[in-house]
Parts: sequence; structure tokens; C-alpha cells
Amino acid sequence: MSLERILEILGQGLRGLRRNKLRSFLTMLGMIFGVGSVITMLSVGAGARAEILARIGELGVTNIILNSIKPPEETKPADQEEWIARYGLTFDDAEYIRAVVPTVSDLLRVNRVTERAWYGSRRIESSVMGVEPRHLAMFGLTVGRGRAFTTVDDRSRSKVCLVRPGFVRQLESVVDPLGQHVSIGGYPFEIIGILEDAQFRSHTAKALNLDGAAQEIYVPYSTSMSTLGTLTAIQRAGSYEASKVELDQIVVSVRSPEEVFDTARMLSAALGSKHKKKDFEIVVPLELLQQSEATQRTFNLVMILIASISLLVGGIGIANIMLATITERTREIGVRRALGARRRDISVQFLTETTSIAVVGGLIGCLAGLAGIQGIARYTSWKAIVEPHYVLVALSISCAVGILFGIYPARRAAQMNPITALRHE
Amino acid sequence: MGDVVLELAGLTKEFGLGENVLRILHGLDLVIRRGEFVGIVGASGSGKTTLLNLLGCLDRPTSGRYWLAGRDVAQLDDDELARERNRSIGFIFQSFQLIPQLDVLENVELPLFYDGAPRKERRPRCEELLASVGMMHRLHSYPTQLSGGECQRVAIARALVNRPALLLADEPTGNLDSKNGAEVMQLFRRLHAEGRTIVMVTHNPEIAAALPRVVEMQDGRIVRDGAPEARLAAAMASGAHA
Repeated sequence: MSLERILEILGQGLRGLRRNKLRSFLTMLGMIFGVGSVITMLSVGAGARAEILARIGELGVTNIILNSIKPPEETKPADQEEWIARYGLTFDDAEYIRAVVPTVSDLLRVNRVTERAWYGSRRIESSVMGVEPRHLAMFGLTVGRGRAFTTVDDRSRSKVCLVRPGFVRQLESVVDPLGQHVSIGGYPFEIIGILEDAQFRSHTAKALNLDGAAQEIYVPYSTSMSTLGTLTAIQRAGSYEASKVELDQIVVSVRSPEEVFDTARMLSAALGSKHKKKDFEIVVPLELLQQSEATQRTFNLVMILIASISLLVGGIGIANIMLATITERTREIGVRRALGARRRDISVQFLTETTSIAVVGGLIGCLAGLAGIQGIARYTSWKAIVEPHYVLVALSISCAVGILFGIYPARRAAQMNPITALRHE
Repeated sequence: MGDVVLELAGLTKEFGLGENVLRILHGLDLVIRRGEFVGIVGASGSGKTTLLNLLGCLDRPTSGRYWLAGRDVAQLDDDELARERNRSIGFIFQSFQLIPQLDVLENVELPLFYDGAPRKERRPRCEELLASVGMMHRLHSYPTQLSGGECQRVAIARALVNRPALLLADEPTGNLDSKNGAEVMQLFRRLHAEGRTIVMVTHNPEIAAALPRVVEMQDGRIVRDGAPEARLAAAMASGAHA
């Protein structure tokens, strides 16, 4: 068959749709919903996948995060006015991990103190994070303006700090706060840099055990140890409660993702022997990734099922209408056969019509899907990513549905006896 | 005048299976030469419709031979029969059988389309034929917008478009009023004068009486074949009035 003839047959198929616009549209509805949901599914799925990757990218697949947590039994006895809770990871633990867990390639300590930062007369509730300089790069804390602190700052215990843009806003400073000082625990810290991002993603913040309400201030680890110490005090009316945690967080790195789970097990065993109370947690980003991927797979499976069902229903609708159309057009089929159409020509004619309905429905479905994605993006926190090849996938599927569900009606049409078809009333 | 367009030899047609076999045609023999204009008459149930279906390659005989334009077409397969219908036969029906979704030009183009002719070659041929039946002014009208007489003229153009060896007309004036019927018959006489071979089934005794050769069927057999006698016409007329 020449290209010209194929195009002509396609043109006839498309013209068939215009013949009865309302019926064609109703027939297409199934395809519109089916393809729309396929497109939406693919885009939302891709968005979720990208989100997971970004999340894990922030935490690092080769990292294991150990957080000190306050054990439930560690509450202030009612008869005591002063109470210092001691729990969590210790300096000893860090040394012990380095000594006994061979896969550890790097170990970063974090000292966190909840303090008020003063800027002139402004007071800002803050989480002061004493971190080693490498920590900044590891968690993607890039400096937007100013500079990051270095090992020199750390070693010389410089009183310098990095703050989030939100902190700067809260200062309501008339002068550029960069280079100004804030007072933390009575010590003046120079703001040497302002971080680019306003905050961590919620999952990262959770994994790093950060308090969402307080502003993070990053200072060199040694500085924080020498000035602020490890004691966090919470003063309430009439009582005083404090906790002493030597290391609020230890970040352990391994060389490759394969070592992550073994290392996590070793860490758990090594620390478990030293801690009677459950006063630390082990967060494994890779595990989070795998959990998310499992969830994602389930989600995809359900979506594929839903999309398949709507496409199936759409296809059945097309087959149903085509069967009715064929009965209606029996005489036409008879005339065409009398004028020399072979069975194959009749088959091709009706297959082209079903495929046209399916593909045009698929196209409209694509548009509907894209509109739906816009709606989802606007009214939910879901992310959706549309890739051009999804449209291709959706159109191929509609084409396949059109052919598949056109086969039976087309066969019925082609098998008609031309004599009885011609006399059909 | 010597060319044989159509020859039947011992043509039979049976329907049903086993003990319920119904024999509709009992061994017909018939020769029609090029340029003949032959009427087929007979009461309903005489087998003329079955004969017409066989002549039109819409059906296969149970036994016997059928040569159409020199080719034995009695036992062709389905695709080959379609090809014969397409190339050797032009159908003209009582109810016109134009396809309502296609316009006049597209209806006339259909046989050429199924013959695989490219679109640009079809158009001049169709226009030429539509001009010859006086329908050039309605090229893009749809059948529902045409009168019965116009529809039949378009159908005749469609039947001629592939230059068939045989025109098969089934009661072509049956659905027309007398004025339009007379016009269509005039057109048939012109086609005959141009040398085309026409086989026409008719119930109308006046039309049959005017044809040069009439084949009369009865109970699946040819009972008379030749120039219509006045007696035959009179008998049919009185039969119709009775």
C-alpha cells in the first residue's frame, strides 16, 4: 500500500468521527479518562521519584546518622527543683566507633544547644549547631552570601556563625547583618555567611532531629564546645530543667552504599552494649530510600491497575459503539462489497475508525491529563514532572486499544454476507 | 457483435443442507453477447434474484459454469469475486444504494478506490461520467439532498466508472415516479446505443415489452428467451391487473 493510500484511509477514518460528533465524543470519554489518568500517573510518579532522590541526595546514601534522644524514663522527679538529665551519645562513643567499626571512613560530631540569640534588643529562639566544617558540604549547606567556616576557624575556635535567610529576616536589621555580631550565650558571634536555602526539606529535618520552630545557627564545633558547652538549660517559672548531652549527633560515613546496612548493624551492636537506656536512634537514609521505593512501587502498581481498568472500559465502549454502528451501516457494507471491497478493505475501514476514535480520545486525554497535573500541582504538595515521551506512550497505548478493541467489530463487518447486507433494512 | 460477455452452462443453485436442500435454479444455460440489452422477468420466487446474485458475483453457484468476459468465475474465492465485481460488473439497484455519508463525487469514486487508483486519476474519470449523466452541478451534494432520479443517475455513473463488461440493473425504475423513470430508461437506451451490455431485472411489462430481448424465468428455469411478443406483454399486463 502506498503512503498516499494509507493517508487517504486515515483521512476517511477521521471523517467518520465528524459524522456524529456527540456520539464520537461519548465514545471517546473512556479513552479520555484512561489516557488522562495514565499521563497523570506517570507525571506524579516521576515527581515523587525525583522528590525521593532529592531527599536522599540531601542526606547522603552513604551516611548513617546517630541522634541522641531523650529516653522516656528521664523526666524530672516532682520533688526536685533542680534536675540535670544526662543521656545520649558520648565522646567515648565516638572514639569507640572509630576504634571498633572498620567500615567507618569518616565521623562527624555535632553539638546542639538550644539558646537565645540576641541582636541588639531582638531575641531569637535558636538551635545552635556546632558542626565540623565538612558537615556543611555533606548536607548541602551552601553559603549564598559571605563565606563558610573552615578548619582554621574550627581549630582556632573563632566565634563565627552561619545563619539561615529566615534568621536574617527576624533580625529586622537596618544595616546588612553580614559582618555584624549576634550574642549567643553571652558570647559575640560574627555572622560570616548567610546560607542559600531557607530550610531543609521536612524529611531531612526529621532525620537530622531538628526543631522546626527554632532558627538554625551553624558555628564551628570546637567553638561551640568551648563557649556553649554541652548543657542545655530550659528555665520555666519556678523551676530549672537542664539536659547534658555530650554529642547530640554523630554522622558516620562509609565508602559505598553496600557497606551501609552492615555498618548500621555494627553501630547498633557496639552502642547497644554501652547504653542501658534507649537514648539514641540510628537513621539510615538508604533505608528510607528503599522504603520510599517500595511505597512507590505499590503506588505505581495501583495506578497502573486503575489506568488499565479505565482503558479497558474505554476500549469496551469503543467496541460496543462500533458494533452498533456496524449494524446501522450494514447496507453501506453491502454496497461497498458489491462495488469491489474485499473483506480486508472492510476490516481496515472499521479498524481505522476505531483507532481514530481511540487516538483522538487519547489526544484529548493527554490535554485533560496535563490540565489535571496543573490542578494537582496547584492544590496539593505533590510534585509532578511531565516528560515529552509520556505523550508518546499514552498515544501508543490508545492506538493499541483502538486496534485491539476494533478487531472484533471489524471482523463482524468483514464477515457479513454482501447479499443479506444489501437487503438489510 | 460476436463477443460473448456472459455464458452460463448448467448453472444450479441450492440452499440448505442434507434433506432440507432447496433447489432454486435448475441448470440454466444462457449466452449474452456484447452490446445486448436483456431483460429478466418472472414472478417472485421464480429465481431471478438468485440468478442476479450469481451474475453479479455476489454468490457462487452450487454447480455449473459461469464465464464472465471469458473468465470462469464460478468457483472463485471471496477476494477474487470482489475483484470481478469491482472490474467487470456495474451494479444499479432499485433503491440506488448510494452511501449517505459520502458526497456525489466520493460515491462515484468508490469502485476506483477499491481498484487502487490514486486519487488524482479518479477525479477526471468521475467528472467525465457525472457530466455524461448530467450531474456535474451536484458534485459535492449528499444523496439526501438529491431527488430519486438524480440519485439513480449518480448510481449509474458509479456503475460505469470502472468500465465494466456488464451492467446489472435490478428494477432501476422501481423507486421512481413515471417522469424520472422514463428519464432513467432513456439513459439506459443511450448506454445500449453506445454499445454497453446491460442485464435488467424488471417487473414492469411496458419496460420489458420495449426491450430487444427478454428472458422469462419460472420456478428456477428459463421458460422463454427472445424478443418479447405482444402476447407476452399482454399476458403480463392482464396478470398484473388481475
